[in-house]
Amino acid sequence: MSLLRNLARRRLRTALTVTGITIGIWALVVFGSMANKISAIVAIGSDYYAGKIVVTDKSGGLDGDSPMAIALVDDIAAIGGVAAAVPGVSTLLDPASNSGISMPDMVVGALPGADHGKNMYDARVAQGRALTAEDADSLVAVLGSDLARKLGKGVGDTVEIRGMAFEVVGILEPTLTAPDTTAIVPLAAAQAIYLGDLPPVVRENVRADQLATDITVYPDAGTDVEALAARIEAAIPNASAMTGAEFDGVVGSSVAIFNAIIVGVALISLIVGGLSVINTMAMSVAERTREIGIKRAIGGSRARVIRELVSEAGLIGLLGGLLGLGLGAVVVYLANEAGRGSGMALFLLTPQTAIFAVLFSTILGVVAGIIPAWSAARLDPVAALRYE
Amino acid sequence: MAVIEGRNLRKTYTLSRRNEVRALRGVDVSIEAGELVAIMGPSGSGKSTLMHLIGLLHSPDQDHGPAPELSLGGRDATRMSDGARTRIRAREMGFVFQQFNLVPTLTAVENVMLAGEYAGLGRRQARERAIARLTTVGLAERATHRPSELSGGEQQRVAIARALVNDPALVLADEPTGNLDSHRSAELLGLIRKLNREHGQTFVLVTHDAEVGAACDRIIRMRDGLVQAMELVREPTPDDVGEAAA
Ligand SMILES: Nc1ncnc2c1ncn2[C@@H]1O[C@H](COP(=O)(O)OP(=O)(O)O)[C@@H](O)[C@H]1O
Ligand SMILES: [Mg+2]
Repeated sequence: MSLLRNLARRRLRTALTVTGITIGIWALVVFGSMANKISAIVAIGSDYYAGKIVVTDKSGGLDGDSPMAIALVDDIAAIGGVAAAVPGVSTLLDPASNSGISMPDMVVGALPGADHGKNMYDARVAQGRALTAEDADSLVAVLGSDLARKLGKGVGDTVEIRGMAFEVVGILEPTLTAPDTTAIVPLAAAQAIYLGDLPPVVRENVRADQLATDITVYPDAGTDVEALAARIEAAIPNASAMTGAEFDGVVGSSVAIFNAIIVGVALISLIVGGLSVINTMAMSVAERTREIGIKRAIGGSRARVIRELVSEAGLIGLLGGLLGLGLGAVVVYLANEAGRGSGMALFLLTPQTAIFAVLFSTILGVVAGIIPAWSAARLDPVAALRYE
Repeated sequence: MAVIEGRNLRKTYTLSRRNEVRALRGVDVSIEAGELVAIMGPSGSGKSTLMHLIGLLHSPDQDHGPAPELSLGGRDATRMSDGARTRIRAREMGFVFQQFNLVPTLTAVENVMLAGEYAGLGRRQARERAIARLTTVGLAERATHRPSELSGGEQQRVAIARALVNDPALVLADEPTGNLDSHRSAELLGLIRKLNREHGQTFVLVTHDAEVGAACDRIIRMRDGLVQAMELVREPTPDDVGEAAA
């Protein structure tokens, strides 16, 4: 009660200090949500790559969709240590709407059963069923959760992809990552779609069933995966073989950069916010010197003086934290809503991030308040009473 | 019985290495329970400094001259910790200062409650007592006013209510009438006199004002950091002493 009155004494100054913290915490929340999202993607990717080697053509573009001859599947399968090699096709669902920054909608061609049960990664099906080997020649599709929502399709509906009508047989559970915006169709259908993406010169010289964009290799039990990847790269011209460990390494370093940015934002808000709280509280103490003298003279203990000022500083931090969290949550929500139309939501605001942000700013306020509070408590009450 | 016994009280303020102010140069003082004592003397004579020593706000110099003694109801106060002195100020003393006595963001009743809470009262009890003391000083209707909404005389009465909230044995006031006109000053003095008579509380008033001095039982006259004279204004009646002891 008197805490709030003290803050209200210098409204503008309090408001400016709170604003400073708000901005810092806002940035922390937004960057933190982005980092959460990336970590979730990485975790799923890491699961996906675990125990397998994904071979692509390294002359290709960013999406890894340069064509590979399906004949390579047999060449790879012949390499020692390979238990199974499965061709796959992935391409844009709609080449006209490539959104650039976020994850685009994809069509992925799958050959169920070809992995001989080696694939440990499975995106769980929420409704309907997964594709089976019997679907090989049918036009059926399993949709990611975001894609199903965006298209407004459920199990049993018909969805048109590049002029072909697919029956939706299943919807995946949300993963918060790439599978959410993916349509999984039988390999043959994906190959047909992919053929249409190729430049006319190339198109005329290949058949759809000769095409793949990637080949997933499942090593024999006990095989050194890295060594096998090296053998594949040596044997197959232009091949790039990505193992789980490599994926973790490549992606891990970009995650590390991101985490460094977040730590940087946290540090900057720590320094700026902390200094402005120290400044505000030091000014408050100077203005209230006489009052502190009175309180000490009539029997207020040092601990009590410290407690009052530190709570005031903590309250400034808490207010800034809550406002920053609120603003950050609004930005995250709006950005995700905007992102849903074109592709993936970019941010993931977890309860941990929210709690951390508010705790962080409150503790920041408290810690920054300790210095001026301590000096106030050390004041000689008589000198404080005489202070002009 | 003496509430305060001080001997060889000296206080030197060091402004810089060359510039020292010897505010008290060896003072002996004894204040009896139930007394209403004035400390008078010219400005700069050490009145406030003496009051700060008695009020445990400062400690007497230890590092030169004969060892100082300061006892408070029999306890040696010369080497108490800050915490112990703060506790005694909170529980056994009341303070009134010349001006800027009150916390500006708190209402009259909250200002009075503050001293109650410092002495360990719960909020509710502190509030009850604070309202009772504000009634005693005739300010019950002003309880929820802020200091800025009160006149100087009213503010001093709030300060007195605060000084009384814990029924302290000793009330110390440094120029409590210094900022009041003679009419308000006489009113406040009448109140102090009445409280001293009715509750037997000991009052030590630092003052410039001869009329204030004349209304007290005894005057301690100071000059240049020394007690120049003690004047008995009137004998305490056996009645007063009886009340004080009760
Ligand atoms: N905190 C202090 N620092 C330095 N000098 C002080 C301080 N307090 C008092 N003095 C000096 O000590 C002397 C006595 O002061 P004080 O006890 O306040 O006198 P009085 O109350 O009688 O006017 C004065 O010369 C005053 O300037
Ligand atoms: Mg004085």
